[in-house]
Order: sequence, then structure tokens, then C-alpha cells
Amino acid sequence: MGTDVTELFIVTTVIAVALIFDYTNGFHDSANAMAGPIATGALRPRTAVILGAVLNLLGACLSTAVAKTISGGFFDDELITASIILAGLVGAIVWNLMTWLFGLPSSSSHALFGGLIGAVIVGAGIASVHGWVIVSKVLLPAVVAPLVAGIAAAWATRLAYRITRRTPSVHTDTGFKHGQAFTASMVALAHGTSDGQKTMGVITLVLIAANLQAAGTGPQLWVIIISALAIGLGTYSGGWRIMRAMGKGIVEIETPQGAASGAATSATILASAHFGFGLSTTHVCTGSILGSGVGRGAEVRWSVARRMVFAWLLTLPGAALVGGLAALLADQGVCGISVLLVLLAGTCLAIYSLSRRHRITHANVTDSHEVLVLAAAAPPTYAGEALLEAPNKPKKVKKPKLKSAA
Amino acid sequence: MHVDWAALAIVAVVSIMTSVIFTILLASGIRLVSAAKIKSNEGGSGIATVSLGYLSLSIAALIVLFGIYLIVPQFH
Repeated sequence: MGTDVTELFIVTTVIAVALIFDYTNGFHDSANAMAGPIATGALRPRTAVILGAVLNLLGACLSTAVAKTISGGFFDDELITASIILAGLVGAIVWNLMTWLFGLPSSSSHALFGGLIGAVIVGAGIASVHGWVIVSKVLLPAVVAPLVAGIAAAWATRLAYRITRRTPSVHTDTGFKHGQAFTASMVALAHGTSDGQKTMGVITLVLIAANLQAAGTGPQLWVIIISALAIGLGTYSGGWRIMRAMGKGIVEIETPQGAASGAATSATILASAHFGFGLSTTHVCTGSILGSGVGRGAEVRWSVARRMVFAWLLTLPGAALVGGLAALLADQGVCGISVLLVLLAGTCLAIYSLSRRHRITHANVTDSHEVLVLAAAAPPTYAGEALLEAPNKPKKVKKPKLKSAA
Repeated sequence: MHVDWAALAIVAVVSIMTSVIFTILLASGIRLVSAAKIKSNEGGSGIATVSLGYLSLSIAALIVLFGIYLIVPQFH
């Protein structure tokens, strides 16, 4: 009897924490699809996140063929237990929230793998982790994704400006904005199909392990629905800090440039999914925004880009560290797990209240390019401006630069 | 260490080619439709230009549809 209750407690906890991870996954990656269209004004911020949320939800419901394993080949599947999954999820959630606070787009999949790897190291030792898989599945793609997407976007941007050099901007504006809205929608749908499965996979795995579901069966309907809702709600909440960092922080995005980078993002994501060389959506998207800036000859804020790359490199070890610490608690039975949950809630609240110091919302997302965290870091004018200018509409992109660049 | 370099090369080539082709079609379509509008405002006939422009935009739309086909697993 006692063991049954404990097991049920663990299963419920894992499901709840998996849904929280799914939510952070949604708002962390909302910017991948929608930062561009919001920055150029192709879609209004609210419209963009609603569209993104619906497409993510739809995508998650469409693709329910979850992978049999969640280890990703980083370690042996037998090592996976409910408490390791729990610790891994906690590591991923904390890392996602920290990077969100600083406006750093980082890969949610890497965060999840990092958390799991940390938990496995604590449970079974460092030798159980396959180091070369980390190189081939994390390090190499992190270099390749921004390079490929960046080159694609740079060429596409250059051509877009060259072809429409003599076309009046009234005409190019609408056309390119429509193109951008379409490519962004594809990215959102593709994201739903790939990332919605992760949570379904985790929950299904735990249910099977607890003998609450027959082995080898797919996710149950309620699992599909709550996972899809969690990722949709997360996307809807916007993750405005990352939205600003991607849409305004790296480079100012003009309309033709936004269309070209959107095309590069969706083409690279689809090609990588289809030809079996997995690339992170986040890395691809950052790369194409960067590349489109280079292609236009715009002033790219390389310091911001560099910080993002550091965040990518730190994602796996960072989440692993948190996941490892969480595993120490998760192994201590009901008491340990309860303490872990309290700590997780405390961390989430602390990060959330820190973010309130310089709030970024749908109303002020395009007003500035900075994502500020601590009050001391804020130049005095900006803090005042943010309060006064809150309800501003997204700014129109300046046109004059367009001709000289082409 | 196993890295699928062939898959990597294919992904790179396909991504770059598709982005470039899509953007050329979109930008040319926009340019041609705009040119036709200007022509007809000046009293000329822009029929040939406008049809070419919409043809170009339609092919771009087909690429988007093909992308959606690839995303949705139920289609294949």
C-alpha cells in the first residue's frame, strides 16, 4: 500500500513538472517563429503569439508518434528512472527560466538533455554518459546551425534587396510582410510537431514504467491534450524578453530582410528535420537573423550574438549542474521530492520577481533592444521611458537605409 | 565518433538553395506586380507583367504548401 502511494506521488509529480517544462519550452521558443514578424510589424505582437500558440497546439496534436526513448543516445536507456526524469526536468526548467530572464535564446532540447545527463551522472557516474554523442549531437550542430541558416539568410537578403531595388517601398512592404507571416507560421507549426512530443514522451514513459499503461502503446488522449495545451499556453505567454533580444537585440530587422530570414529559418528547420541532421530551432533562427543582418550590411550587435553563443555552450553543462543537484534530492523518496518541489517553486518565483524589475510585455517589446535584469544596470532614461511609453504600438521600420544597402 | 557528414552537406545545400529560390520568387513577384500597377496607372497595359508576377508568387506559395506537407506527418 505504502509503495503504491509513493509511486503515485512520484508519477503525479513528474507529470506536473513535465507540463511546467512544456510551458517554459513554449514561451522560450515563441520568439523563434514570431520575433521577426513582430519586429518588422508584419504581425502585431498579440496576433503573432495567438497565431503561434494555435499552430503549436495544432502541431502537437498532429504529431503524436513519440520516440521510444528520451535518452537521445546520450546514455543507456536502462538508467532512466522516474526520479532521474524528474531531476532532469527540474534542471531544464531552471535553465530555461534563467536564460529567459537574461533574454538569451537557448535550446530547450539541450536544456532537457543537460538536465537528464546531470541526473544520470549523479545516479550512475560520469562513465555512463557517452561523451562523443555530446560532440556530434550538441557541439557540432550548435556550430553548423547558425552557419548554414546564416549563409542562407545572408544570400536571400542580398537578393531580396537587389531584386526590389527600384520597387516603391509601399508595394514591397505588404508583399514581404505576407511572406514573412507565412514562413513564421510554418516555423510555429513545425515547432509544435517536434517539441510537443517531448512532453508526451516523458509522461507516457513514466506511465508505462509505473504499469499504468501497457508497454509499447502511444500517448493517451488526455496526455496529448494537456501537453498540447501547455505548449500552446507557453507560446501565447510570449516570452517577451527573448522576443526582444531576437527581434531587436541582434540587429534591426527591416521588412525584406525579415522575409528572407524567415525563409532561411523555415527552409533550414525543415531540411534538417527531413534529412536527419537535427538542428536546434533556436540556433537556426538566431543564425538567420544574424545572417540577414550581415546580408543587408546592417550594424550587427556582435556582443549580443557572442553572449548568445556562450549561453548555447553553457546550456548543457548548466542544466546538467542543476539536474545533478536535483537528482541528489529526488533520490531521497517522498521527503526529498517534496523539498525539491518547494525549491523549484521558490526559484521560479525568485526569477519571476527579478524579471518584474524591468518588465517586457507585448506592449513594449519593440521599444528598445535591451533586456535589462538588475536596476543598477539600467540607464536612468530607459527606466522612465519604459513606464511612460508602455502602450506604444510597434515602431515602423525606417526605410531610407534600404537603398544604400542594395 | 560518428558524424553523418553526408546528411550535414545535404541539409546545408538544400537549406541555402530553398531559401534563395523562395526569396527570388517572392521578391520578383512583388517587383513585377508593383511594376504592372505603376504601368496601368500611367495608362499602359501591364497584363503580361502582372501575370508573370502572380505566377512567381504562386510558385512561392507552392513551396510553402510543400513545406506544410513535409511538416504534417498525416500527409505521408
